[in-house]
Amino acid sequence: MSTTSRIADRAAAIPAIEREDVALLLVLPGLFIFAAFMFFPMLYLLGISFTNARPSNLFAGGGLLTFGEATFVGLQNYAAVLSDGKFWNSLGTTWLFVATSLVLKIGLGLGVALVVTNQRVRGARFLRSLLIVPMGLPAIFTITIWRGIFSSAQFGLANQLLSWLGAGTVAWLNERWAAFFAYNVTEMWLAYPFMVIITVSALQDVPKELHEAAMVDGAGYFARFFHVTLPSVKRPVLFASILTAAASFQQFLIPYAFNEGGPARLNELIIVYGYREAFQFSQYGQGAAIMLVAVAFIGAFMWLNVKKGRLADGVDDA
Amino acid sequence: MSLVSLVAEKIADDVRNVANTPRELAVEARYAVKAYRRGELSALQLGRTAGATAFAVLLVALLLFPIYWIAMSAISGTGGSVYAAGGFSFFPENPSVQPFVWVLGDLIVPPLAISLNVPFSELAIVFNTPEIVFLDASDHGVDNPSDFKQYFLNSVIVSVPTLILAMCVIVPAAYALSRREFIMRRKVLFGYVLFTQVGGGLGIASLIALYAMFVQVGLNNNRLALAAYYAATAVPFNTWLLKTYMDGIPVSYEEAALVDGAPPWRVVTEVILPLSAAGLATVTIFTFLTGWMEFVVAQTMLSADKFTLPVGLFALIDEYSIPWARFSAFALTFASPVMLVYLFAQRYIEGGLSFSGMEG
Repeated sequence: MSTTSRIADRAAAIPAIEREDVALLLVLPGLFIFAAFMFFPMLYLLGISFTNARPSNLFAGGGLLTFGEATFVGLQNYAAVLSDGKFWNSLGTTWLFVATSLVLKIGLGLGVALVVTNQRVRGARFLRSLLIVPMGLPAIFTITIWRGIFSSAQFGLANQLLSWLGAGTVAWLNERWAAFFAYNVTEMWLAYPFMVIITVSALQDVPKELHEAAMVDGAGYFARFFHVTLPSVKRPVLFASILTAAASFQQFLIPYAFNEGGPARLNELIIVYGYREAFQFSQYGQGAAIMLVAVAFIGAFMWLNVKKGRLADGVDDA
Repeated sequence: MSLVSLVAEKIADDVRNVANTPRELAVEARYAVKAYRRGELSALQLGRTAGATAFAVLLVALLLFPIYWIAMSAISGTGGSVYAAGGFSFFPENPSVQPFVWVLGDLIVPPLAISLNVPFSELAIVFNTPEIVFLDASDHGVDNPSDFKQYFLNSVIVSVPTLILAMCVIVPAAYALSRREFIMRRKVLFGYVLFTQVGGGLGIASLIALYAMFVQVGLNNNRLALAAYYAATAVPFNTWLLKTYMDGIPVSYEEAALVDGAPPWRVVTEVILPLSAAGLATVTIFTFLTGWMEFVVAQTMLSADKFTLPVGLFALIDEYSIPWARFSAFALTFASPVMLVYLFAQRYIEGGLSFSGMEG
């Protein structure tokens, strides 16, 4: 008799966990589809990176999800990639792009956000809704417009602006650092709506009393900006910066549509480098190795940010 | 249906606001000038407000200038260009809608012959419906219109299944993550936050493998397989977003419903879902756009007859020249509905993107 009651006690202790765990079933379909299209290809990519896969041998021979007639070459692709100057140039250019574009994006985003939340500006809400319109445009379209603006021709808008300022014309996309500059400006323009949205909502959460108190203490505009505004918006802006830094690292369309990472492969950001190696030079194995190195970098970067930047605080508290 | 009318009401509200803004500004300006004349407002204050507003308007105009410029090149006919060959002019000399006609092509409902057989006889009654012409491209001097309609159809075939599939997995997951405690919950959330931040790039990185897999299984050039892929990429970010919206719904509402004897599924359909309508709207827009806007993967996977709109757009570009007027008209036709949605759904999108739930 006592046995049954003990079992009943134990059973009563378990269901509390088990019944709640049924909710996991609601999450599994999403996890499954995500894994099927993200993790599984990643694993397969890892496999490809150890072979000499090319379209000719990978798709030869029957069978599903095999490596075709590609042969195992061990770490040869990684050795080839890591000893290639183009790879290091690409990685260096990518990190430089992350740094420069991040500064520009935060600068413009914060500047614009401060202007359109300024209490002296009338119709600010209206202006704000106009500002984020570029987000609704397809990236490939806006990037092509910017490619036209940075046209090397004398009549490109950028060159028109230069000649209006009295300077000579620049062959924007045929010169390495000019092209790099053009990438930066375009990336800044593409990312500003996102930065503005996040910064504006952070700015609106800054208590008015803080500003008023600082004004009473005689703080000028800049003093208030550095001691009141900036500390209050620091975390959301930091969060947006991390997101947007990750986006810069993975920027593909700008270099690809502008000049395919040119001139002479000098500006191939890492993803473009891997993509061209695979699809334009038919080196699937090496392309896979490059992509995995890039994924390792971005993975480590994001993991560090989520851990150290406490991005997932909400998760840990919950 | 009440949800639809709610949305319609909000849109009408927004339209009224937008229409009223210039008038209100004018009224306010007149009021300010009067106050200044009466000496209630100093010239410095008035000047500061006017200056700040003018500066803000100028800044917005500068930032949006590329869009204005492209819109102008779209209506400037065959000579359209983003290059200012004849010097700057803010409005084209010979505006023309021809590029848009080229994009749309013929909009004609062909005549139909409907025949009805009269029973027990050889007789048949034949109705001929008239040809309905909305737009005949050749009237405007356009002989070879674009493939816009085909691309549009392809995009719909990709985006709609993306949306349906994604919503089917995102909504239950967001609910479970927001409202239930279960094993692995934190790990799933942590993983989703991590993957929220490595969206598109990761897709391009694994594109080699994805392409090889699709070719081997024979699914490359399959629009539904592409839709499934897009739905998968949309999962982490949108699940997280919807979860943060649902977190904002007070638990007491649910408890009240439970006390009233509502079964769990009715709590979800009648409390949680309606109250997270804004979140659902945002997530719907984002997942739909995943398929509508994506370029790189679609370009790699699809062949010409199945190109989606972004790929079709990029295909207009020659290596050395871009037919600007047609290119812009094409892009604007394809982007303007999305831009309108953005304008009207903005308060929801802003609310969602501010990540207010981010810090727990």
